[in-house]
Amino acid sequence: MNGREHSDAELLKRIDLKAVERRDRRRQGRNFLVALAFMSPALLLVGVLLLVPVVYNIYLGFTRWRKFSGIDEFAGVENYARMLSNPFFGEALFNTAIWVVASIVFPILIGLAMALLFRGVRFENTFKNIIFIPRILAPTAVGVIWYYVYAPDGLLNRGLSVFSGDPVDIGWLYDSATVTPAIIATFVWQTVGLVMVLVLLGLSAIPKDPLEAAKIDGASKVQVFQHIVLPLLLPTLVMVTILSVLAGFTVFDLLWVMGISYPGQRSLSLTVYMYFEAFQKGAWAYGSAVAVVIGLVVLCVTWIQAVLQQRVDKMTR
Amino acid sequence: MTVALDTLDFDAIARRERRLQQSKWWTLAVAFLISLIWLIPFYYLAISVFKTQQEYAAKAPLALPDGLWPIVGNAVEAWTQAKMGFGMLNSAFYGLVGAGLAVFFAAMAAYGLTRLDFRRKNLWFMVIFAGTVFPFQMYLIPLFFFYQDWGILNTHFGMILFYTAICIPFPTLVLKNFMNGLSREMDEAARMDGASEFTVFLRIILPNAWGPMTATFLLQFTWIWNDLLFSTVLGNRPETRSIMNALQVFQGSYASAGPNIVLTAALIASLPSIILFFVLRRHFMEGMRVTSL
Repeated sequence: MNGREHSDAELLKRIDLKAVERRDRRRQGRNFLVALAFMSPALLLVGVLLLVPVVYNIYLGFTRWRKFSGIDEFAGVENYARMLSNPFFGEALFNTAIWVVASIVFPILIGLAMALLFRGVRFENTFKNIIFIPRILAPTAVGVIWYYVYAPDGLLNRGLSVFSGDPVDIGWLYDSATVTPAIIATFVWQTVGLVMVLVLLGLSAIPKDPLEAAKIDGASKVQVFQHIVLPLLLPTLVMVTILSVLAGFTVFDLLWVMGISYPGQRSLSLTVYMYFEAFQKGAWAYGSAVAVVIGLVVLCVTWIQAVLQQRVDKMTR
Repeated sequence: MTVALDTLDFDAIARRERRLQQSKWWTLAVAFLISLIWLIPFYYLAISVFKTQQEYAAKAPLALPDGLWPIVGNAVEAWTQAKMGFGMLNSAFYGLVGAGLAVFFAAMAAYGLTRLDFRRKNLWFMVIFAGTVFPFQMYLIPLFFFYQDWGILNTHFGMILFYTAICIPFPTLVLKNFMNGLSREMDEAARMDGASEFTVFLRIILPNAWGPMTATFLLQFTWIWNDLLFSTVLGNRPETRSIMNALQVFQGSYASAGPNIVLTAALIASLPSIILFFVLRRHFMEGMRVTSL
């Protein structure tokens, strides 16, 4: 025993710690080069085609670049000041705000209600699939279908006139008062299925014990929902809300397809407004500035998500 | 556990059971009604594609068509007028190659990030993942001009390049998390036997990551198939248009074609993703679980 300890100490003395460290660093360096080789296609593509454009876009927003003019003229915040006085921008911003609120409220409320309603009902899976199917279709195709549903002599008006007895002639997609709500209804029709499925997933993860305990203690259904189900479902709801807001805020396809005959199409939302200014009017710098505004809002939402998620995680732990 | 039977209120239990059963009926009825409302647009689509233009204009929107044959004429007209042959081929090409390359590159990156030991891994991951943080609008104008400068605007190569790039970050996240969970014993053993890193990746890690790779591939393929925005900006020529772009252009200029034709085009454009979904439902659900958690 004693001899063994002795030789260990001798061995340790003989090991050159510096050399070990050096070898370690060399191995890490070699590893890093190999790893870099593995990551290089991804880094190159993402860097050149996604990250560089974002930086360049921010720069463009501060220039005076238009069709047939050079980029080099620096304009400061001129483009941003112009937005404030542009009525179309104001309208686009207002409509975008409506989209944000609507995509927080409706998908969550309807998705949650559907999840609670369908849960445990006979043919649950059939109902679930039916509500989910619109999600499979491309937004473009959905937009085309609903464009004709809302047409002046389309399904909705004809159906309403059958119910009311009088001929109904509402220009759903032509009137500024109805065009945004109509497209939001289509958006909800398409996306609520995913919300419902995710809520159902969250519901099935709730442990049975506290529910049964509450029932035995004589809690009513509403009480059980409010005090047990809702708090445990909160993380799911937060996540779903954020997903829904980001989707609703950046909707483009539906607006582009369904708003095609609306005279004020450009102000249907910031996304359409940006596309219109840049690619139809050729106001490249101004369009870039609008894109930056959209980016800022998205970053804010992502940041709120991070904060909320942290709070919720703390609460549930 | 024993229950004193004489203390139980059987009437109350029976009442509660009956109420429960009644509420079940009510919910079933409401669920049925909601599903019916949800299906109306599909029903409308399904019958409209079987109608001739005169039939579509004259009949009630939800009335059944006279016969099934008009769909052939509608499909032929939609296919030729909307140039859907190009669109279908292009989108299939973009989807298969773009999503395929993206998932492969993502797997490579994930391998580098999880199987090799080096410092500041998280930073390198964040560089790749940053590609999903920004809204698409911030890419459009710079890319349009880069593409013009490089001479790849409105080319298949340019479209593939972009679709590959945009589809890399998300699979990288998923595959990184997955590969973190794989045991390290096998690749250590292979390395001992003198296998190169690339062999380890190709022969040991890839076969094990097949499941999440398929799931993310399907998600990205559907994304590319459904994309309208980037095809409109970067590939807006009949020869390079994606199917959804072809559909949108056709609908936007429908002066010559009736709604029944445009609706037929919408149905044809959606068929591949519908078929894909029903054939590979398990993988899609897996993908959804992966995206949400």
